[in-house]
Amino acid sequence: MANEKPGAQATARSNGGEISAAEARTQSITRAGQSNAPEGAARTYRLVIQINERPGAVDRVVGLLRRRRARMQTLTIGRSEQPDVARVTAVIDDSEVAVEQVVEQLRKVVDVQQVTLFSSEQLVERELALIKVQSDPRHSRAIIELGQQFGAHVADVAPATVTLEITSSTAQVEQLVQQLQPFGICELARTGSVAMTRAQ
Amino acid sequence: MQVAVPMTPAKGTSQATAQSRSHDTEEARELTGSQILCEALIREGVELLYGYPGGAIMPFYDALSSYSQLHHVLVRHEQAAAHAADGYARVTGKVGVCVATSGPGATNLVTGLATAFTDSIPVVAITGQVAWSLIGRDGFQETDILGITQPITKHNFLVERVEDLADIVHEAFRLAQGGRPGPVLVDVPKDIQQGKTLYRPSASVTSIEHFRSTRTPQIAPGAIARAAKLIAQARKPVIMSGHGVILSQAYTELQTFAEKSDMPVITTLLGLSALPETHRLAIGMPGMHGPAHVNKAIGDADLIVGVGLRFDDRVTGKVSEFAPHAQIIHIDIDASEMHKVKPAAVPIVADAKEALSALTEAIEPGNHEAWLQEIRGWETAANERGTIVQGQEYPDPADILAAIRAETKGEAIVVSDVGQHQMWTARFYNWTRPNSHITSGGLGTMGFALPAAMGIKMGLPHETVWVVAGDGGIQMNIQELATLKQQGVAVKIAIMNNGYLGMVRQWQQFFHNQNYSETPITGPDYVKLADAYGLKGMRITKREDVARAIHEAMETEGTVLIDFVIEAESNVYPMVAPGKAITDMIEENTEEI
Repeated sequence: MANEKPGAQATARSNGGEISAAEARTQSITRAGQSNAPEGAARTYRLVIQINERPGAVDRVVGLLRRRRARMQTLTIGRSEQPDVARVTAVIDDSEVAVEQVVEQLRKVVDVQQVTLFSSEQLVERELALIKVQSDPRHSRAIIELGQQFGAHVADVAPATVTLEITSSTAQVEQLVQQLQPFGICELARTGSVAMTRAQ
Repeated sequence: MQVAVPMTPAKGTSQATAQSRSHDTEEARELTGSQILCEALIREGVELLYGYPGGAIMPFYDALSSYSQLHHVLVRHEQAAAHAADGYARVTGKVGVCVATSGPGATNLVTGLATAFTDSIPVVAITGQVAWSLIGRDGFQETDILGITQPITKHNFLVERVEDLADIVHEAFRLAQGGRPGPVLVDVPKDIQQGKTLYRPSASVTSIEHFRSTRTPQIAPGAIARAAKLIAQARKPVIMSGHGVILSQAYTELQTFAEKSDMPVITTLLGLSALPETHRLAIGMPGMHGPAHVNKAIGDADLIVGVGLRFDDRVTGKVSEFAPHAQIIHIDIDASEMHKVKPAAVPIVADAKEALSALTEAIEPGNHEAWLQEIRGWETAANERGTIVQGQEYPDPADILAAIRAETKGEAIVVSDVGQHQMWTARFYNWTRPNSHITSGGLGTMGFALPAAMGIKMGLPHETVWVVAGDGGIQMNIQELATLKQQGVAVKIAIMNNGYLGMVRQWQQFFHNQNYSETPITGPDYVKLADAYGLKGMRITKREDVARAIHEAMETEGTVLIDFVIEAESNVYPMVAPGKAITDMIEENTEEI
């Protein structure tokens, strides 16, 4: 998941008289925006899209990602620090469309205020997962201890299940899920990533 | 089921009309949503709107009859309203407006809006919607027109409160025109049209500047200098001029830039007529049906200055083999067009007019006479503007076009539909007047020409407007003959009638073993049809009668329809097979004729 393209940069605000991402790049571009990534070169990107909280705004973003063939891995929508502005975090891969193309297309959506493209070094990323694991009195302790190693909390305990709650990086969540597999996972709910830049 | 309410054009001075004249005063008045809608349209300078009434838009139509400044044209199908608004916008530079009721009325606009969207034309569509309280209950004639038109509009609005209505209408106009133009839809529930609120015209000026889509971008620092450097180094440069040059009305700037740099100019289908084709540097149209020498020039070029074009697949053919030796300077107002199809060495996100002026200033005078002569040397007899079909008694498409051109001295606006005749018109008309060539280029909408021509003629009533259509496309919106008659609008129509869906038949001939599946098509007796609509019709079956018929059409008042019976199986040459390199052309096989 974390295989970022080196040098991918946070782009400027979309709502000033800024230079487009395409123009800002100095190295020559060889891949056409609307084309497949070379074999094995597809990468994942985190986009933070700030949208006006108006009816249909999320539709417009999701519809555009589909039309322009950005493969969506996760999508989270929630409030931001500004009133009437929702924050959408999309994790997409660029196997069928270059990420710069997606950014420029998103910036044309009227309800989109700002689009930011992150590389992993620049960002704090978290997701929350609820994991309901099959359990019995013999195993519940082991499950809880495993969870604790990942900083997970116990959200619910029942005779046949333990539900863990973890908030961590995507990689950590995936590791925990993997290690819990032998116990048997009854139900898994993951929110997908939310992300923001690290303070300098 | 749409309820057609007879509309009486109101010329009276009702109270509402008198009030609307005072729209510059500060005084707030209580008005209904429908009245506010009319007031806002007038404030935007709207004079003409094309539409069709029905249940959910009736309050608007009720108010409309009191506003004599707004001339409403009752079309016979909402698709035609969208095309007419589109045609009007293409030639006036103003926003075209169309109106429809909810449900089927709104969905009938869809093809027209998609046409305008693909070709970047500013259109505002107003649709009625079921009452707010009914939305979501699958009410009679309820459709989610916002959802349906989301991918084919720049933006769309559902008005939730009558207090927001005026602002939304003004926002819609700013959005339609700003930056790269396009259609915007405003969906107005019936109860919002009926609701009342205080309306203060001067208060309803929206601040929409924060929307990127409405702004003209500024040229990035250094971009012009980098482009000038590439231009100075180029040995075989070409300019590819697209629709953006016409939308920006950058005709003079294009010519000045071309002359100073001395670069040959290629014009795309929608870029045609930006530079007179009689100009020494004008070499023609590229792509699927472009003449061989133009595609060869692209194949040999070491630099392409692409202005206001998006490197559409009909232009590029197989992208990996398009312009293999060329670096690209790409000028477009839309940043998302940069690198989309072909990575550009120098992307310039700017209005065409501004960028061309800046570039002209930055370059040294060039001399590419040898390169131009090399290209001219590739021109073959088949590419000359002459006959398309040899030795036939039937009217020749090139003759028809030449006769229209001669009769109108090249001053007419020619609106083509979609198909073989569209390519012949593009190739053989010899465009000399800027923006005189109108067609549905991007979406390729059959049925576009007739209603679009109506909008064009009404936008520019003193101009001569010719429709050139095939016998397939003309039947797709033929019902608009009634609208033309009712409005007293005169367009001249030339049908190139070959009894086939000709372009599809041509593809079947080349790529499907001549299996002419569902392409033979019959039509009505067009002379009788015209007569039935109260118009003049002619059928021309002989080559020698072409010029006389065109002349007679021009001499006849009102709309005239000429059915030119042409050779059934003539083709558009040359042709590049889809997915092939543009330098790999199917040339005319003279033995077949």
